[in-house]
Amino acid sequence: MNMESIEIIAPRYGIAWYPRAVEYFFLVALAYTSLWLALPGAVFGVNRWKPIARLALVGAVTTAIAAPVSLLADLHQPLRFWHFYAHFTPWSWMSIGSLILPVFVVLTIGLAWLVWREPMQDWRGERGIVGWVARVATLGHWDSPRWLIVLTGLGAFAASLGMALYTGYEIAVLKGRPLWHTDFLPVMFVATGLIGSVGMLLVLDRFSGMRAAELATAPQTPVVSPSRAVSRQLLGVLLVACILAGITAALWFAVGLTQADPSVAAALDSVKGNPDWRAMTFRAVATGGVLFLGVLALLMRPGIRGLGWVFGLLALHTAWMFRWAVLMNVQTVQRQTAGFSEYQLGMGSMGLLGIIGAFALWLTVLMLIEIFVPWRAALDGPSTVPVSKPSDGVPSHG
Amino acid sequence: MDLARRLFMAQAARITAGAAFVPLASVAQAGINDQPPRRDGDAAKRYAMLIDLRQCIGCQACTVSCHIENEAPLGKFRTIVSQYEVENEETGDLAQFMLPRLCNHCDNPPCVPVCPVQATFQREDGIVVVDADRCVGCAYCVQACPYDARFINDRTQVADKCTFCAHRLEAGLLPACVESCVGGARIIGDIMDPDSQISRMIEEHRDELKVLQPDKNTVPHVFYLGMDERFIDRPQAAPGLWDVRDSAGAELGYEYGEH
Ligand code: SF4
Ligand code: SF4
Repeated sequence: MNMESIEIIAPRYGIAWYPRAVEYFFLVALAYTSLWLALPGAVFGVNRWKPIARLALVGAVTTAIAAPVSLLADLHQPLRFWHFYAHFTPWSWMSIGSLILPVFVVLTIGLAWLVWREPMQDWRGERGIVGWVARVATLGHWDSPRWLIVLTGLGAFAASLGMALYTGYEIAVLKGRPLWHTDFLPVMFVATGLIGSVGMLLVLDRFSGMRAAELATAPQTPVVSPSRAVSRQLLGVLLVACILAGITAALWFAVGLTQADPSVAAALDSVKGNPDWRAMTFRAVATGGVLFLGVLALLMRPGIRGLGWVFGLLALHTAWMFRWAVLMNVQTVQRQTAGFSEYQLGMGSMGLLGIIGAFALWLTVLMLIEIFVPWRAALDGPSTVPVSKPSDGVPSHG
Repeated sequence: MDLARRLFMAQAARITAGAAFVPLASVAQAGINDQPPRRDGDAAKRYAMLIDLRQCIGCQACTVSCHIENEAPLGKFRTIVSQYEVENEETGDLAQFMLPRLCNHCDNPPCVPVCPVQATFQREDGIVVVDADRCVGCAYCVQACPYDARFINDRTQVADKCTFCAHRLEAGLLPACVESCVGGARIIGDIMDPDSQISRMIEEHRDELKVLQPDKNTVPHVFYLGMDERFIDRPQAAPGLWDVRDSAGAELGYEYGEH
């Protein structure tokens, strides 16, 4: 018997996680993947990777500081956060995460501190608050011991693996939402996180003046100078991350289509035929394609690498939108009733204002580091580069 | 598939094996996302509900009485009766289908192990409750429940859900929804007691009982009699009242919008 059903009465289920959750997953993924990019140069002393490490440390520290604030704000009872520690629950991924997160944040900041306090020594003699901060923050006139840097770096790396694992499985264990309940999700979080952090570093590279300063001192040849390895390395990592994300997404889809994994099949089924979801998928695939082709073009044509930051922004957008789709849009799929609930981004602190606030917080942390930390001079960086001389501000193409 | 039988076999296995291998069970419980031990409540009881859909007239008396008893905020419900209009495409005949819904007090409740502070827990008598003083409002449990049985209470800012009216049961009263049910469709009781009405009805209708989304392996303990297969999972239906739109397609309003 063929039936046509109309649902006459059902409650509208609102969402329970707000854009704050997206902010957290976004920032924290940028943090742990940035840390990975900093490791070769900052911890293992690989010279070729030191320029990236300088940028990546700034990226990791700023996002690692901003992320927990968003997490706290997504709790409906933020002042009860201490309950996490009073009632540790080893069988809950979220509880496990509440232990890993502070360790990760502290070790990441610790690593940056060990690396940054060396160039900060030169600022101890400065007048005013900058000199005072340098004198206080360096905790004395000693060289950061190599073994301590390596130890802290390895510790931070271990914690970052824990972060990647917990943020992924915290979501993937939820069988209540088939679109989340898959091992592909944690992999996808890592891949898109890497895309985002490279994007962030490309943007930082451009707007911190690192790129311009480096190109100004490099011999002016039509071919890009070998010292500009930063762009090439970043774009290389970005390409790999894009490929990883593409393969993961394709596999997830294939597994669902072939019904090999009932959870993925159920997930596809739950949004099948919904025009909004179709449009979203199309946008995601199109953005991914443009990003991939753009990065490929930049890698093959060094002459246009001045545009790197544009693709950096696109990469950040990709990492953000993936999390938005996963965490926000999936919540609109009803579970025991028909259809989809609609979610509109509100203007208040649980919506747009909150997102702007999180970004502003990140920017504030970045500014403070910019003012008080000579991070450009870290890891054998050019200590003579002035922070901002008008003539250095001109972007260069090459 | 005879779900009820599978269900009861699984439960019997749990009880016997559980008694024999207590230390082993506690080792198994160490795994991430495994069920933690139950606490509080009377271990000699297992509360469950049987809903006889043949008796339900869709009057929403349960919805209203629960709303008043438990002071749920507007637009959020611990129990509600989903109503469907079903049309036979060949004959054009219309029928109504009512589905009273509430927390299933699952035997394998996915909402419990996720809770990072153990505010959500299962009592020995099977009732799944939230300790509102401990809950941090992370809403992880809301995401984990496959039945949308939980919500964050806007007033208390903590997780909220049906408790089988545990406070009334303890005072020797029936839950508000059972008390107010016009058709006598909701039967609550202790399934460990073979003489309870629910046990007798389960015995009588064993093969006809169904639960919601059995494939999720949550082992729900709200059993439906007279249940249509097509409503066990998320139904293939057109959401009715949600789409109150003007001619330009903009939403005009919603039944349970802000009042
Ligand atoms: S129905 Fe939902 S809230 Fe109730 S016990 Fe099962 S999973 Fe938990
Ligand atoms: S909302 Fe409360 S009850 Fe639910 S998982 Fe979070 S802390 Fe536990």
